[in-house]
Amino acid sequence: MIPSSLAVIVATAALTLLAAAALAWAWWRGYFDDLDAQSRVIFEPRDWRLERPWESPVDRLERETTYGAPIAPAPGEWGGAA
Amino acid sequence: MTRVSLLALGAFAIMAGAICLLVLVPQAMLADVQAPPQLQPYTERQLAGRRVYIANGCVYCHSQQVRDPAFTTDVDRGWGARATVPADYVYDRPHLLGTMRTGPDLINVGQRLPDMDWHLIHLYDPRSLVEWSTMPAFPFLFEEKPRSAVGPNDRVVTIPGPRAPRGVVVVAKPQAVALADYLLSLNRQYPVAADTAGGPRAAH
Amino acid sequence: MTAPQSPQGAGGAAAPAASAVGAAPALRGLAPDDLEIRLRADESSRVVVLVLYAVAIGWLLVGSIFGDIASFKLHWPDFLTRQGWLTFGRVRTAHLHAVNYGWATAALIGTSVWLLPRLVHTELKGALTALLGGVLFTIGITVGIVGVLLGVNDGMEWLEANRYAAGPFLVIGGGLVGLSLFRTVAARRAQHLYVSVWYILGAFIWFPMLYVVGKWPTWSGVESAAVNWFFAHNVLGFWLTAMSVGAAYYFIPKVLGRPIYSYQLSVIGFWSLALFYSLNGMHHLVGGPIPTWMVTTSIVASVFMFIPVVATGINLHMTVVGRFGALRHSPTLRFVVLGAIAYTAVSLQGSFTALREVNRVTHFTHWTVAHSHVGGYAFVSFVAFGAMYYVVPRLVGHEWPSVRLVRWHFNTVLAGIAIYVIALTWSGVAQGLALLDARLPFQVSVERSIPGLYGRSLGGLILTVGHLIFAYHFWLMVRMPRGATRRTLPPFHEAQPILYTAEADAARRGAPAPAGASAQRRAEGTA
Repeated sequence: MIPSSLAVIVATAALTLLAAAALAWAWWRGYFDDLDAQSRVIFEPRDWRLERPWESPVDRLERETTYGAPIAPAPGEWGGAA
Repeated sequence: MTRVSLLALGAFAIMAGAICLLVLVPQAMLADVQAPPQLQPYTERQLAGRRVYIANGCVYCHSQQVRDPAFTTDVDRGWGARATVPADYVYDRPHLLGTMRTGPDLINVGQRLPDMDWHLIHLYDPRSLVEWSTMPAFPFLFEEKPRSAVGPNDRVVTIPGPRAPRGVVVVAKPQAVALADYLLSLNRQYPVAADTAGGPRAAH
Repeated sequence: MTAPQSPQGAGGAAAPAASAVGAAPALRGLAPDDLEIRLRADESSRVVVLVLYAVAIGWLLVGSIFGDIASFKLHWPDFLTRQGWLTFGRVRTAHLHAVNYGWATAALIGTSVWLLPRLVHTELKGALTALLGGVLFTIGITVGIVGVLLGVNDGMEWLEANRYAAGPFLVIGGGLVGLSLFRTVAARRAQHLYVSVWYILGAFIWFPMLYVVGKWPTWSGVESAAVNWFFAHNVLGFWLTAMSVGAAYYFIPKVLGRPIYSYQLSVIGFWSLALFYSLNGMHHLVGGPIPTWMVTTSIVASVFMFIPVVATGINLHMTVVGRFGALRHSPTLRFVVLGAIAYTAVSLQGSFTALREVNRVTHFTHWTVAHSHVGGYAFVSFVAFGAMYYVVPRLVGHEWPSVRLVRWHFNTVLAGIAIYVIALTWSGVAQGLALLDARLPFQVSVERSIPGLYGRSLGGLILTVGHLIFAYHFWLMVRMPRGATRRTLPPFHEAQPILYTAEADAARRGAPAPAGASAQRRAEGTA
C-alpha cells in the first residue's frame, strides 16, 4: 500500500527538510520565544476571572487565587441563549 | 522582517511551490503529448454537443476514464479495452474526467452504443429504454409538436413503450442532436503505446 | 497582554465609553482600556459582519433547498424534469456554490472580519470597503449560480461560475475584503499575532492564488484535470478549513478561559497543513490518466496530513478535555467543539480514502459526497454556527431571545447530519463494492445505492428544518432593538395559554384591580 517510488520519497524528504530548516531558522531568530505570551493574547483580565458554571471547586479556587475575585458572567456570555 | 511579512512570504512560497510541482511541471511534461493519429479533433457540432454536456452537468454522474486493469475492473466491466492515457484527452478543453459513477463511464460509449436514435430516445426519457435507470430526463432538449406541425427537416424521435407521450411527436432540437453526436464521438478504443508521461502502468 | 491605550489618545473616547457602558452594563470587571478597545473593535466591524451573516443565512436556505431537490432526483428521477434550470446537473452545482461560496464563505468571512480587529486590538480599517467587497462578492456568486442554472458553465467542478461574468465581481469583492483585513493588521496595536490571525491572513493570500490558477483559461486535457483538483481540494484546505480552524482556535479557549493546550503545536500545525495539504489534490484522480508520480505524491501528502491534523486535534481537543461540561452551558462550544472533532475525523477519513486499496472501492461513489459533507457541514458549518451564536449578541447588544430555538437548531442539525452521513456512506460502499465486481451488471450498483439515498434525503430535509429554525431566530435577533432584554410578548413558539381573569389582566397591565371582582367571584365560588 505504501508507494515505493524512490523519486517521491526523496522529494518528500527534501521538502520536509526544507520546511524543518525554515522552522529552525525562525526559532534561532527568536520568533518562537514568546509563544506562551502569544497564547494568552486573546484573554482580557475579565476572562480569567469569569465564573464558569461547569468548573469544579478546585478550578474555581485556582482561578480565584491566581487572578482575583470571580466576576459573574453576563447573560449569554458563553455564546447562544442562556 | 516583520512577523506579518514573514507569514505572508512563507504562505505564498509554499503555495507557489505546490503550483510549480503539481501544475507547472506536469504542464511542461505533458506539453509533448501528441494526439494519436486515430483520434480526430471534435467537429463543430460535436463541440456544440460537448457544451450541452457541460451545461447540463452530465459530468456529475458520468466519468470519462478507464482505469488500469491491473488496478481495478473497469476493463472487465466492458468500459474499454485498455486504460485511457493522457493522449486520449488532447482535444478536451476542459477535461470531463468526472468523479461520480451514478451512471456508467462514457469514454467509449460511442463504440458501445453507436446508434444516434438510441441516444436521442434515451436523452428524452431514459426509462423508456432502461427501466432501472435513475438518469434525469431531458425533455427540454426536445420539442413536442402535434403531428401536423412536423416539418420535413425535423429529426423525429420515436419513443417506444408505454411511456411514450400521447398525441404529440417528439422532435429533437439541434442541441439534442449535437449532444448525441458528441456522445457518438466518444471512442478511444484505438491502441496506444504506453508512454512515459503516464500511460497504462501498474499501481505501485 | 494588551498594549496600553489611554482613553484620551483614542480620540473622542469619552462619548463611546459612556454609551458603551450604557449599552453593555453587564461587562463588569473589564478595565476601561480593554473595554474601550474591545468595543471599538466590535463597533467597527458591526455592520459588515451582520450584513455578511444575513447574506450567509440567505444562501444557507437557498442552498438547502437546491440540495433537497438534487437529493430527491437521485431516487425519484422523474421529479421536476420538465424545466432545464431544474435538471439535476444544474441544481446540484447551484447547491454546491450556494453552500460553499455562499453560506460557508460569507459566514466565515464575517467571523474573520469580527475576529481580526479583536485579535489585533485595532478597529477594522476600511470597514466600508470591506462591506462593498462583501456585496460585490455576493453579486459574483449570484451571477455564477444564475448562470449555472441557465446552462452557462465553465466546465470544471467547483469552478463553474463564468469567469467573465462572475469573475470580476468575485476578484474585486474578495480583494477589497482582504485589503481591509491586511490594512487592519498593518495598523495593529497588539504586538503578538495569535494563531487565528495566521489562518485568516493565510486564507486571503491562498484563495486568490488558487482562483487565478483554477480560472486560467488555457488549460486543456489532463492538465486541466490536475488543475481542477488542485483548486478544488485546496479551496477546502486553504480557504474553508483555514478560516474554520482559525475560528476554533479562538472560541474554544476564549469561552473556556484556558489557553490552547500547546501553543507550540499550533506553529507545527499551521505550517505542516500548508505544506502537505497543498500537495493533496491529485488524490481525486487515483487510477486516472495523469502521470502516476503526481498521484503518488498526493497519496503520500495525504498520509502525511496526519501531522497537522494530529497537532491541531491535540490542541483543540486537549484544551476541552476535563471540561466537556461546558458544552451544556455554551451552544457555541457545542457547535465548535463538535466541529473540531469532525475536522479530525474527516481528515483521518481523507488520508485513509487516498490509499489506493481503499480508493478502489470508494472512488466514483457516494462515499466521496458523504465525506465532503462531514467536512463541509459537520466541521465547517458547525464552526460557523458556533461562531455566529457568540458574535451576533456582541454586535446587536442583546442576547439571543430563545433558549429553545438554540436547542432545537442544534438537535436538528446534529440528527440531520448524522443520518445524512451514515446513510450516504453506506450507499457509497454498497455502490462501490458492486462496481468492483465485474460479474454484477451496472444496474446492481444503482439499485444497491438507492436505500441510502432515501436516507440522505431524510437527513437533508431535517437539516433544512434546522436551518429554518436558525434563520427565524436570527431574524428575531436582529429585529430586537439594541439593549433590549426581553420582548413584551414572547415569540409565537413560546406562547403559553393563560387563564384570563379581570384581576390577572389588570395586574399584567399595571392597572388597579376592577372593583367588586373579588366579591363576585366569591359569590360564584370560583375565588
